[in-house]
Amino acid sequence: MKKSVVSKEYQKLQKEIISLQEQWKTSLDPDRILPRIDKAAMESGVPVVAWTAIDFDIPLFLQWIEDIGKLLANYQPELEKTIETIKGLLDEETAKRWIDEAFAFNHIYFASFAEEQEIDGWIPQFIAETVLRPYLQLTAEKVQGEIQYAVHGAGCPVCGEPVRLAQLEDGGKKVLHCPRCLAHWHDKRITCSHCGNEDHETVHFLTIEGESAAQIQVCEECKGYTKIIDTRQYIVKPTPAMLDLNTIHLDFVAQENGYKSAGETKQTN
Amino acid sequence: MATAEYVKFVDVTKCDGCRACMVACKNWNDLPAEPEAFQGSVQSHANVTANTWNVLSFIEHENGQGNLEYLFRHSSCFHCTDAACVKVCPEDAMHYTEFGTVDVDSDKCVGCGYCVQNCPFDVVQLATYKDTNGKEYKKAQKCTMCVDRLEEGMQPACVTTCHTDAMEFGTKEEMLKKAEKRLSEIKERFPNAMIYNPEGVGGTHTIYVLAEKPSVYGLPEQPKVPTSAIVWKDYAQPIGKMMLGATSMALVGAFVSNKLFNKEGKDHEEDGGGGHE
Repeated sequence: MKKSVVSKEYQKLQKEIISLQEQWKTSLDPDRILPRIDKAAMESGVPVVAWTAIDFDIPLFLQWIEDIGKLLANYQPELEKTIETIKGLLDEETAKRWIDEAFAFNHIYFASFAEEQEIDGWIPQFIAETVLRPYLQLTAEKVQGEIQYAVHGAGCPVCGEPVRLAQLEDGGKKVLHCPRCLAHWHDKRITCSHCGNEDHETVHFLTIEGESAAQIQVCEECKGYTKIIDTRQYIVKPTPAMLDLNTIHLDFVAQENGYKSAGETKQTN
Repeated sequence: MATAEYVKFVDVTKCDGCRACMVACKNWNDLPAEPEAFQGSVQSHANVTANTWNVLSFIEHENGQGNLEYLFRHSSCFHCTDAACVKVCPEDAMHYTEFGTVDVDSDKCVGCGYCVQNCPFDVVQLATYKDTNGKEYKKAQKCTMCVDRLEEGMQPACVTTCHTDAMEFGTKEEMLKKAEKRLSEIKERFPNAMIYNPEGVGGTHTIYVLAEKPSVYGLPEQPKVPTSAIVWKDYAQPIGKMMLGATSMALVGAFVSNKLFNKEGKDHEEDGGGGHE
């Protein structure tokens, strides 16, 4: 049996990135993040980060970019030059812009940035997203006590990332996990986490032969899917980010079968 | 994956005898069903077999107060630290895995059955198969602790299916702590309760909290690697190898001397030949 299609080397790189992010997060001054829980806003599906005052430490941000650059260069030495170019381009103003755009997940901005500077398209957004996450994760940590449920269709209640990963935990509870900010919240077992559909006739499961701990929940109403992993079967529970990566084949299966990671919202009128 | 020493902890006092562990084992390991005659109790098989790697034993026991206790035990391979089966295996088919468990390499196994004879718990059994020519051959079979699952960071199938949490899987240290804690909780209800992790085989990788003495469950009180196995593997085999060395030396010696004294030898033979006539 083989659980993941991701190469060991890439898994190792991701693990190193995650532990780097963990280090960064613990080095952050918690007072720089002041979340505000607005119940009314949360009930209408506005993610917590939208109401959170984050005081970004720009020099630290640039230091992190250097750290991640070094790590990447260990794996691909030819990246060293590109990272140097990026470091040269990032003055305080550009760094602030990067943070804003990474927050908004503005891939168009990053793609055009890469094109202008003639660097590989994936690099700017990858780096910006990687160094933004510790802030999101610290926000999630601070508000986790307030997060029980999410508004269907609004994505992660903390950072707004589309829902795609759930774990079955003690007592068989379905707990949705955000691989981006690591927030988690509950949902009913037979409920589409994208549109809230509870009709058992239209909520199905795709099971893959040989996968004893994973299922894909799909909804015929909104065509959304959620990977549901029974992590009770694991010896050591992986972090949601690694779990998301190692089950990437399930995303392929779901998408090849016509389902999407963000369900379609139906026009009510 | 950094390999730690893992242990399966079975708390028989939590078991309700549902036999889901047996089903999970058959299912995961793709083992065929074995029609069994009525055993005279709810128990399905008398003991583990080559195709039934774990059996739930049901024991009717009269306790100290004269009351009936209905005792259940998930029984499968103990995965001894000092395993007799590994010791006696002449082909190194029985081996320790990186997790400390004991597994059979079916490619190496020749079906000699030494492991079956020497297992102190009667766990290892021989399965009979037929090759394409219809010729029968045998292989040792037993619980693998779902080593294929462990390699992927997952718990054994029997453990994951247990709905009363009578079975748990984790690092040796953590499981032993849990066992101690559980023992202190049940001592009042079961005065003879004990942790079964026999030292005679160097400790096991399936440890039990038993409600009664091991003999009540049909387990040896003090199992150990049979002396014959030790004599065989630690003394006889090395001596055998040494003897083989001596024989080879003698052969080489004989060859050299023959070469050196070839002429003389030949003469001698011719002489001898002549003597017959």
